Amino acid sequence: MACTRYLTQIQEMVDGTLGAIRRAELEMHLDQCEDCHALLDDLRRIHDAAGSLDDLQPPDRVWLQIAGRLRQDGRLAETAASSAPRRSHLALLALAAALVLAVGASLMLLWPRGETPRAPAEAGAGAPNSGNPAAVNSVEDVENELRQAEQHYESAITRLQQIANSSQSSMDPQVAATLQRNAQVIDQAIAESRAALRSEPTSAPARGALFEALRQKVTMLQDTIALMNEMRKGNSAGAAQVLNKS
Amino acid sequence: MATSKMTMHPSVPGPAEGARAAELALVERCRRGELGAFEELYRAHAGRLFSLACRMLGNPADAEDLLQDIFLAAHRKLDSFRGEAALGTWLYRLATNQILDHVRSRAARAGQITDGLEDATVLADAGEHRLGDRAIARIDLERALAQLPEGCRAAFVLHDVEGLEHREVADVLGIAEGTSKSQVHKARLRLRALLARKW
Repeated sequence: MACTRYLTQIQEMVDGTLGAIRRAELEMHLDQCEDCHALLDDLRRIHDAAGSLDDLQPPDRVWLQIAGRLRQDGRLAETAASSAPRRSHLALLALAAALVLAVGASLMLLWPRGETPRAPAEAGAGAPNSGNPAAVNSVEDVENELRQAEQHYESAITRLQQIANSSQSSMDPQVAATLQRNAQVIDQAIAESRAALRSEPTSAPARGALFEALRQKVTMLQDTIALMNEMRKGNSAGAAQVLNKS
Repeated sequence: MATSKMTMHPSVPGPAEGARAAELALVERCRRGELGAFEELYRAHAGRLFSLACRMLGNPADAEDLLQDIFLAAHRKLDSFRGEAALGTWLYRLATNQILDHVRSRAARAGQITDGLEDATVLADAGEHRLGDRAIARIDLERALAQLPEGCRAAFVLHDVEGLEHREVADVLGIAEGTSKSQVHKARLRLRALLARKW
Protein backbone atom coordinates (compact mmCIF):
# COMPACT_ATOMS: atom_id res chain seq x y z
CA MET A 1 0.00 0.00 0.00
CA ALA A 2 1.34 3.42 -0.92
CA CYS A 3 1.79 5.63 2.13
CA THR A 4 -1.29 7.78 2.71
CA ARG A 5 0.59 10.85 3.85
CA TYR A 6 2.51 11.05 0.57
CA LEU A 7 -0.43 10.62 -1.83
CA THR A 8 -1.00 14.34 -2.36
CA GLN A 9 2.70 15.01 -2.83
CA ILE A 10 2.97 12.23 -5.37
CA GLN A 11 0.05 13.68 -7.33
CA GLU A 12 1.54 17.18 -7.17
CA MET A 13 4.84 15.76 -8.36
CA VAL A 14 2.97 14.40 -11.41
CA ASP A 15 1.27 17.79 -11.86
CA GLY A 16 4.68 19.48 -11.68
CA THR A 17 3.50 21.77 -8.89
CA LEU A 18 5.38 20.31 -5.94
CA GLY A 19 7.63 22.85 -4.23
CA ALA A 20 11.34 22.24 -3.76
CA ILE A 21 11.28 21.42 -0.04
CA ARG A 22 8.36 18.99 -0.20
CA ARG A 23 9.84 17.51 -3.33
CA ALA A 24 13.12 16.79 -1.54
CA GLU A 25 11.19 15.21 1.30
CA LEU A 26 9.22 13.04 -1.11
CA GLU A 27 12.35 11.98 -2.98
CA MET A 28 13.91 10.80 0.26
CA HIS A 29 10.81 8.75 0.95
CA LEU A 30 10.71 7.34 -2.57
CA ASP A 31 14.23 6.01 -2.14
CA GLN A 32 12.93 3.81 0.66
CA CYS A 33 9.39 2.98 -0.43
CA GLU A 34 8.88 0.73 -3.43
CA ASP A 35 5.08 1.07 -3.42
CA CYS A 36 5.12 4.86 -3.52
CA HIS A 37 7.81 4.74 -6.20
CA ALA A 38 5.63 2.43 -8.29
CA LEU A 39 2.61 4.67 -7.73
CA LEU A 40 4.51 7.74 -8.91
CA ASP A 41 5.77 5.88 -11.98
CA ASP A 42 2.28 4.64 -12.87
CA LEU A 43 0.59 8.01 -12.41
CA ARG A 44 3.27 9.73 -14.46
CA ARG A 45 2.79 7.21 -17.24
CA ILE A 46 -0.96 7.75 -17.20
CA HIS A 47 -0.49 11.52 -17.23
CA ASP A 48 1.98 11.32 -20.11
CA ALA A 49 -0.14 8.85 -22.08
CA ALA A 50 -3.20 11.07 -21.67
CA GLY A 51 -1.26 14.12 -22.84
CA SER A 52 -0.08 12.35 -25.95
CA LEU A 53 -3.41 10.90 -27.06
CA ASP A 54 -3.99 11.59 -30.72
CA ASP A 55 -7.06 13.33 -32.01
CA LEU A 56 -9.93 11.03 -32.86
CA GLN A 57 -11.42 11.52 -36.29
CA PRO A 58 -15.20 11.73 -36.56
CA PRO A 59 -16.88 9.49 -39.13
CA ASP A 60 -17.44 11.32 -42.38
CA ARG A 61 -21.19 10.94 -42.06
CA VAL A 62 -20.99 13.76 -39.51
CA TRP A 63 -19.81 16.16 -42.18
CA LEU A 64 -22.40 14.86 -44.64
CA GLN A 65 -25.10 15.46 -42.06
CA ILE A 66 -23.85 18.97 -41.36
CA ALA A 67 -23.77 19.75 -45.06
CA GLY A 68 -27.29 18.33 -45.44
CA ARG A 69 -28.61 20.47 -42.60
CA LEU A 70 -27.00 23.60 -44.03
CA ARG A 71 -28.59 22.89 -47.39
CA GLN A 72 -31.93 22.11 -45.81
CA ASP A 73 -31.85 25.36 -43.84
CA GLY A 74 -31.02 27.35 -46.98
CA ARG A 75 -27.75 28.61 -45.56
CA LEU A 76 -25.64 27.78 -48.59
CA ALA A 77 -25.17 29.77 -51.75
CA GLU A 78 -26.50 27.90 -54.77
CA THR A 79 -23.77 27.05 -57.26
CA ALA A 80 -23.92 25.74 -60.78
CA ALA A 81 -22.22 22.58 -59.64
CA SER A 82 -24.62 21.91 -56.81
CA SER A 83 -27.79 22.65 -58.79
CA ALA A 84 -26.84 20.90 -62.02
CA PRO A 85 -28.58 17.59 -62.64
CA ARG A 86 -26.39 14.59 -61.89
CA ARG A 87 -25.48 12.05 -64.50
CA SER A 88 -27.13 8.74 -64.01
CA HIS A 89 -25.34 6.46 -61.58
CA LEU A 90 -27.89 3.67 -61.81
CA ALA A 91 -25.38 1.01 -62.76
CA LEU A 92 -22.98 2.16 -60.09
CA LEU A 93 -25.73 2.25 -57.49
CA ALA A 94 -26.98 -1.21 -58.37
CA LEU A 95 -23.48 -2.63 -58.08
CA ALA A 96 -22.76 -0.74 -54.92
CA ALA A 97 -26.04 -1.92 -53.38
CA ALA A 98 -25.12 -5.50 -54.21
CA LEU A 99 -21.77 -4.97 -52.55
CA VAL A 100 -23.37 -3.62 -49.43
CA LEU A 101 -25.59 -6.68 -49.27
CA ALA A 102 -22.52 -8.88 -49.66
CA VAL A 103 -20.70 -7.08 -46.89
CA GLY A 104 -23.79 -7.10 -44.70
CA ALA A 105 -24.28 -10.81 -45.29
CA SER A 106 -20.67 -11.54 -44.47
CA LEU A 107 -20.94 -9.62 -41.23
CA MET A 108 -24.15 -11.45 -40.38
CA LEU A 109 -22.08 -14.63 -40.29
CA LEU A 110 -20.76 -13.29 -37.07
CA TRP A 111 -24.24 -13.11 -35.56
CA PRO A 112 -25.64 -16.40 -36.78
CA ARG A 113 -28.61 -16.78 -34.46
CA GLY A 114 -30.81 -14.13 -35.95
CA GLU A 115 -29.74 -11.56 -33.40
CA THR A 116 -29.44 -7.93 -34.20
CA PRO A 117 -25.76 -7.30 -34.92
CA ARG A 118 -24.11 -5.63 -31.99
CA ALA A 119 -20.64 -4.92 -30.74
CA PRO A 120 -18.91 -8.25 -30.27
CA ALA A 121 -17.46 -7.23 -26.92
CA GLU A 122 -21.07 -6.78 -25.83
CA ALA A 123 -22.06 -10.06 -27.47
CA GLY A 124 -19.10 -11.83 -25.91
CA ALA A 125 -20.03 -10.52 -22.52
CA GLY A 126 -23.55 -11.82 -22.87
CA ALA A 127 -22.76 -15.24 -24.29
CA PRO A 128 -21.48 -16.99 -21.16
CA ASN A 129 -24.68 -16.09 -19.34
CA SER A 130 -27.01 -17.26 -22.07
CA GLY A 131 -27.49 -20.64 -20.43
CA ASN A 132 -27.12 -22.33 -23.79
CA PRO A 133 -23.58 -23.69 -24.18
CA ALA A 134 -24.39 -25.27 -27.53
CA ALA A 135 -25.04 -21.84 -28.98
CA VAL A 136 -21.57 -20.62 -28.10
CA ASN A 137 -19.15 -21.23 -30.94
CA SER A 138 -15.69 -22.49 -30.21
CA VAL A 139 -12.86 -20.01 -30.52
CA GLU A 140 -11.73 -21.76 -33.70
CA ASP A 141 -15.17 -21.55 -35.28
CA VAL A 142 -15.45 -17.89 -34.48
CA GLU A 143 -12.00 -17.22 -35.91
CA ASN A 144 -12.89 -19.09 -39.10
CA GLU A 145 -16.07 -17.06 -39.42
CA LEU A 146 -14.17 -13.89 -38.80
CA ARG A 147 -11.65 -14.75 -41.51
CA GLN A 148 -14.45 -15.63 -43.91
CA ALA A 149 -16.26 -12.36 -43.17
CA GLU A 150 -13.07 -10.41 -43.69
CA GLN A 151 -12.47 -12.12 -47.05
CA HIS A 152 -15.97 -11.17 -48.23
CA TYR A 153 -15.38 -7.70 -46.98
CA GLU A 154 -12.01 -7.32 -48.72
CA SER A 155 -13.45 -8.62 -51.94
CA ALA A 156 -16.33 -6.17 -51.77
CA ILE A 157 -14.03 -3.26 -51.04
CA THR A 158 -11.77 -4.14 -53.95
CA ARG A 159 -14.70 -4.25 -56.34
CA LEU A 160 -16.17 -1.05 -54.97
CA GLN A 161 -12.84 0.67 -55.44
CA GLN A 162 -12.71 -0.51 -59.05
CA ILE A 163 -16.19 0.87 -59.67
CA ALA A 164 -15.31 4.15 -58.01
CA ASN A 165 -12.15 4.45 -60.13
CA SER A 166 -13.92 3.62 -63.38
CA SER A 167 -16.77 6.06 -62.74
CA GLN A 168 -14.68 8.83 -61.27
CA SER A 169 -15.23 11.14 -64.23
CA SER A 170 -19.00 10.92 -63.85
CA MET A 171 -19.00 11.49 -60.10
CA ASP A 172 -19.27 14.80 -58.38
CA PRO A 173 -15.67 15.57 -57.35
CA GLN A 174 -16.74 16.62 -53.85
CA VAL A 175 -18.66 13.39 -53.34
CA ALA A 176 -15.75 11.35 -54.71
CA ALA A 177 -13.32 13.12 -52.39
CA THR A 178 -15.60 12.55 -49.42
CA LEU A 179 -15.92 8.87 -50.25
CA GLN A 180 -12.16 8.63 -50.49
CA ARG A 181 -11.66 10.27 -47.11
CA ASN A 182 -14.36 8.08 -45.57
CA ALA A 183 -12.64 4.98 -46.79
CA GLN A 184 -9.23 6.13 -45.57
CA VAL A 185 -10.43 6.94 -42.06
CA ILE A 186 -12.34 3.69 -41.63
CA ASP A 187 -9.61 1.62 -43.24
CA GLN A 188 -7.12 3.09 -40.83
CA ALA A 189 -9.37 2.12 -37.92
CA ILE A 190 -9.69 -1.37 -39.37
CA ALA A 191 -5.92 -1.67 -39.79
CA GLU A 192 -5.31 -0.52 -36.21
CA SER A 193 -7.89 -2.95 -34.88
CA ARG A 194 -6.36 -5.80 -36.84
CA ALA A 195 -2.92 -4.95 -35.51
CA ALA A 196 -4.30 -4.93 -31.96
CA LEU A 197 -6.00 -8.27 -32.58
CA ARG A 198 -2.79 -9.76 -33.94
CA SER A 199 -0.91 -8.78 -30.81
CA GLU A 200 -3.72 -10.07 -28.57
CA PRO A 201 -5.76 -12.62 -30.55
CA THR A 202 -8.14 -13.34 -27.67
CA SER A 203 -8.77 -9.72 -26.76
CA ALA A 204 -12.51 -9.00 -26.75
CA PRO A 205 -11.96 -5.20 -26.94
CA ALA A 206 -9.68 -5.59 -29.98
CA ARG A 207 -12.20 -7.83 -31.69
CA GLY A 208 -14.98 -5.45 -30.72
CA ALA A 209 -13.07 -2.53 -32.22
CA LEU A 210 -12.53 -4.44 -35.47
CA PHE A 211 -16.20 -5.35 -35.78
CA GLU A 212 -17.20 -1.81 -34.98
CA ALA A 213 -14.95 -0.52 -37.75
CA LEU A 214 -16.39 -3.08 -40.19
CA ARG A 215 -19.87 -2.07 -39.18
CA GLN A 216 -19.01 1.58 -39.72
CA LYS A 217 -17.86 0.71 -43.21
CA VAL A 218 -21.19 -0.95 -43.95
CA THR A 219 -23.05 2.04 -42.55
CA MET A 220 -20.96 4.39 -44.63
CA LEU A 221 -21.73 2.42 -47.80
CA GLN A 222 -25.42 2.34 -47.01
CA ASP A 223 -25.51 6.07 -46.29
CA THR A 224 -23.52 6.84 -49.40
CA ILE A 225 -25.75 4.81 -51.65
CA ALA A 226 -28.91 6.39 -50.27
CA LEU A 227 -27.37 9.82 -50.56
CA MET A 228 -26.16 9.31 -54.12
CA ASN A 229 -29.57 8.00 -55.11
CA GLU A 230 -31.24 11.18 -53.90
CA MET A 231 -28.57 13.36 -55.50
CA ARG A 232 -28.99 11.49 -58.78
CA LYS A 233 -32.67 12.35 -58.68
CA GLY A 234 -31.73 15.98 -58.07
CA ASN A 235 -33.66 15.79 -54.81
CA SER A 236 -31.62 17.89 -52.39
CA ALA A 237 -34.40 17.78 -49.76
CA GLY A 238 -34.47 13.99 -50.00
CA ALA A 239 -30.70 13.88 -49.68
CA ALA A 240 -30.92 16.01 -46.56
CA GLN A 241 -33.53 13.63 -45.18
CA VAL A 242 -31.25 10.68 -45.82
CA LEU A 243 -28.47 12.50 -44.05
CA ASN A 244 -30.68 13.29 -41.10
CA LYS A 245 -31.85 9.71 -40.81
CA SER A 246 -28.37 8.22 -40.98
CA MET B 1 -21.91 21.08 -11.58
CA ALA B 2 -22.00 24.87 -11.80
CA THR B 3 -22.91 26.78 -14.90
CA SER B 4 -19.86 28.83 -15.75
CA LYS B 5 -18.86 29.12 -19.36
CA MET B 6 -15.52 28.51 -20.99
CA THR B 7 -13.59 31.74 -21.03
CA MET B 8 -10.15 30.61 -22.07
CA HIS B 9 -8.38 28.15 -24.23
CA PRO B 10 -5.40 26.04 -23.27
CA SER B 11 -2.91 25.88 -26.04
CA VAL B 12 -3.96 27.20 -29.43
CA PRO B 13 -1.36 29.83 -30.26
CA GLY B 14 -2.56 33.03 -31.83
CA PRO B 15 -2.05 33.00 -35.57
CA ALA B 16 0.55 35.16 -37.23
CA GLU B 17 -0.74 38.06 -39.33
CA GLY B 18 -0.77 36.10 -42.56
CA ALA B 19 -2.50 33.15 -40.97
CA ARG B 20 -5.05 35.43 -39.33
CA ALA B 21 -5.80 37.09 -42.65
CA ALA B 22 -6.27 33.63 -44.18
CA GLU B 23 -8.64 32.68 -41.36
CA LEU B 24 -10.68 35.83 -41.84
CA ALA B 25 -10.87 35.18 -45.56
CA LEU B 26 -12.02 31.62 -44.91
CA VAL B 27 -14.66 32.83 -42.46
CA GLU B 28 -15.85 35.40 -44.98
CA ARG B 29 -16.29 32.68 -47.61
CA CYS B 30 -18.24 30.62 -45.07
CA ARG B 31 -20.47 33.61 -44.35
CA ARG B 32 -21.18 33.91 -48.06
CA GLY B 33 -22.48 30.35 -47.99
CA GLU B 34 -19.58 28.53 -49.65
CA LEU B 35 -19.88 24.91 -48.58
CA GLY B 36 -16.30 24.15 -49.63
CA ALA B 37 -15.00 26.85 -47.31
CA PHE B 38 -16.99 25.53 -44.38
CA GLU B 39 -15.78 22.01 -45.11
CA GLU B 40 -12.22 23.34 -45.02
CA LEU B 41 -12.92 24.88 -41.63
CA TYR B 42 -14.55 21.64 -40.47
CA ARG B 43 -11.66 19.45 -41.62
CA ALA B 44 -9.15 21.66 -39.84
CA HIS B 45 -10.88 21.58 -36.46
CA ALA B 46 -13.28 18.62 -36.31
CA GLY B 47 -10.71 16.12 -35.03
CA ARG B 48 -9.73 18.17 -32.02
CA LEU B 49 -13.31 19.04 -31.09
CA PHE B 50 -14.57 15.49 -31.67
CA SER B 51 -11.81 14.17 -29.42
CA LEU B 52 -12.77 16.61 -26.71
CA ALA B 53 -16.46 15.71 -27.00
CA CYS B 54 -15.79 11.96 -27.10
CA ARG B 55 -13.61 12.04 -24.04
CA MET B 56 -15.73 14.45 -22.04
CA LEU B 57 -18.93 12.53 -22.80
CA GLY B 58 -17.43 9.05 -22.79
CA ASN B 59 -19.66 8.12 -25.69
CA PRO B 60 -18.76 8.46 -29.42
CA ALA B 61 -22.39 8.40 -30.58
CA ASP B 62 -23.30 11.37 -28.37
CA ALA B 63 -20.09 13.07 -29.45
CA GLU B 64 -21.06 12.73 -33.13
CA ASP B 65 -24.44 14.34 -32.48
CA LEU B 66 -22.85 17.09 -30.47
CA LEU B 67 -20.18 17.73 -33.10
CA GLN B 68 -22.94 18.39 -35.61
CA ASP B 69 -24.60 20.82 -33.21
CA ILE B 70 -21.28 22.55 -32.56
CA PHE B 71 -20.53 23.16 -36.22
CA LEU B 72 -24.09 24.16 -37.05
CA ALA B 73 -23.95 26.65 -34.17
CA ALA B 74 -20.55 27.84 -35.40
CA HIS B 75 -21.99 28.43 -38.87
CA ARG B 76 -24.85 30.45 -37.38
CA LYS B 77 -22.49 32.49 -35.19
CA LEU B 78 -19.77 33.19 -37.73
CA ASP B 79 -21.03 36.77 -38.01
CA SER B 80 -19.88 37.32 -34.44
CA PHE B 81 -16.33 36.12 -35.19
CA ARG B 82 -14.18 39.24 -35.36
CA GLY B 83 -10.77 37.61 -35.43
CA GLU B 84 -9.64 38.90 -32.02
CA ALA B 85 -8.89 35.30 -31.06
CA ALA B 86 -7.69 32.52 -33.32
CA LEU B 87 -10.47 30.68 -35.08
CA GLY B 88 -9.45 27.49 -33.27
CA THR B 89 -9.77 29.24 -29.91
CA TRP B 90 -13.18 30.63 -30.81
CA LEU B 91 -14.40 27.19 -31.92
CA TYR B 92 -12.88 25.47 -28.90
CA ARG B 93 -14.66 27.85 -26.56
CA LEU B 94 -17.95 27.37 -28.35
CA ALA B 95 -17.49 23.59 -28.33
CA THR B 96 -16.56 23.44 -24.67
CA ASN B 97 -19.62 25.42 -23.67
CA GLN B 98 -21.88 23.14 -25.69
CA ILE B 99 -20.25 20.02 -24.29
CA LEU B 100 -20.58 21.26 -20.72
CA ASP B 101 -24.22 22.20 -21.32
CA HIS B 102 -24.80 18.67 -22.59
CA VAL B 103 -23.02 17.11 -19.60
CA ARG B 104 -25.05 19.26 -17.21
CA SER B 105 -28.39 18.47 -18.80
CA ARG B 106 -27.51 14.78 -18.83
CA ALA B 107 -26.54 14.99 -15.18
CA ALA B 108 -29.76 16.85 -14.40
CA ARG B 109 -31.78 14.15 -16.14
CA ALA B 110 -29.93 11.49 -14.18
CA GLY B 111 -30.59 13.32 -10.91
CA GLN B 112 -27.08 14.19 -9.88
CA ILE B 113 -23.51 13.43 -10.65
CA THR B 114 -22.26 10.85 -8.23
CA ASP B 115 -18.59 10.40 -7.90
CA GLY B 116 -18.71 6.70 -7.23
CA LEU B 117 -15.00 6.55 -6.60
CA GLU B 118 -13.47 4.40 -3.97
CA ASP B 119 -11.42 6.11 -1.33
CA ALA B 120 -8.12 7.37 -2.72
CA THR B 121 -6.12 5.35 -0.26
CA VAL B 122 -7.84 2.15 -1.42
CA LEU B 123 -7.21 3.02 -5.05
CA ALA B 124 -3.57 3.69 -4.26
CA ASP B 125 -3.11 0.10 -3.13
CA ALA B 126 -0.03 -0.64 -5.16
CA GLY B 127 -0.16 -4.38 -4.79
CA GLU B 128 -3.56 -4.62 -6.42
CA HIS B 129 -3.36 -1.89 -9.03
CA ARG B 130 0.27 -1.66 -10.09
CA LEU B 131 0.79 -1.39 -13.85
CA GLY B 132 4.27 -2.88 -13.77
CA ASP B 133 5.96 -2.92 -17.14
CA ARG B 134 2.70 -3.08 -19.03
CA ALA B 135 2.52 -0.53 -21.84
CA ILE B 136 -0.50 1.77 -21.81
CA ALA B 137 -2.20 1.21 -25.16
CA ARG B 138 -4.14 4.13 -26.55
CA ILE B 139 -7.25 2.03 -26.99
CA ASP B 140 -7.12 0.81 -23.39
CA LEU B 141 -6.70 4.32 -22.06
CA GLU B 142 -9.66 5.57 -24.12
CA ARG B 143 -11.81 2.72 -22.82
CA ALA B 144 -10.78 3.29 -19.23
CA LEU B 145 -11.43 7.01 -19.62
CA ALA B 146 -14.97 6.30 -20.77
CA GLN B 147 -15.58 4.35 -17.56
CA LEU B 148 -14.73 7.20 -15.23
CA PRO B 149 -17.53 8.98 -13.39
CA GLU B 150 -18.60 12.12 -15.23
CA GLY B 151 -17.22 14.74 -12.85
CA CYS B 152 -13.71 13.42 -12.54
CA ARG B 153 -13.60 12.48 -16.22
CA ALA B 154 -14.27 16.07 -17.24
CA ALA B 155 -11.58 17.40 -14.90
CA PHE B 156 -9.06 14.78 -16.03
CA VAL B 157 -9.72 15.39 -19.73
CA LEU B 158 -9.32 19.13 -19.35
CA HIS B 159 -6.19 18.85 -17.21
CA ASP B 160 -4.22 15.81 -18.34
CA VAL B 161 -5.42 15.48 -21.94
CA GLU B 162 -6.11 19.08 -22.91
CA GLY B 163 -3.37 20.60 -20.79
CA LEU B 164 -5.32 23.19 -18.82
CA GLU B 165 -4.02 24.31 -15.42
CA HIS B 166 -6.12 23.43 -12.38
CA ARG B 167 -7.31 27.03 -12.02
CA GLU B 168 -8.45 26.96 -15.64
CA VAL B 169 -10.22 23.63 -15.14
CA ALA B 170 -11.89 25.08 -12.07
CA ASP B 171 -13.01 28.11 -14.04
CA VAL B 172 -14.38 26.04 -16.92
CA LEU B 173 -16.23 23.59 -14.71
CA GLY B 174 -17.33 26.15 -12.12
CA ILE B 175 -15.68 24.34 -9.25
CA ALA B 176 -13.01 25.22 -6.70
CA GLU B 177 -9.38 24.75 -7.70
CA GLY B 178 -8.94 22.25 -4.86
CA THR B 179 -11.87 20.25 -6.22
CA SER B 180 -10.25 20.17 -9.62
CA LYS B 181 -7.09 18.75 -8.09
CA SER B 182 -9.03 16.21 -6.09
CA GLN B 183 -11.03 15.09 -9.14
CA VAL B 184 -7.99 14.79 -11.38
CA HIS B 185 -6.06 12.91 -8.73
CA LYS B 186 -8.90 10.47 -8.14
CA ALA B 187 -9.31 10.00 -11.87
CA ARG B 188 -5.65 9.01 -12.23
CA LEU B 189 -5.92 6.49 -9.42
CA ARG B 190 -9.11 5.09 -10.89
CA LEU B 191 -7.52 4.85 -14.34
CA ARG B 192 -4.57 3.05 -12.83
CA ALA B 193 -6.90 0.51 -11.27
CA LEU B 194 -8.80 0.06 -14.53
CA LEU B 195 -5.65 -0.26 -16.63
CA ALA B 196 -4.14 -2.77 -14.22
CA ARG B 197 -7.06 -5.11 -14.86
CA LYS B 198 -6.78 -7.64 -17.63
CA TRP B 199 -9.16 -6.47 -20.36
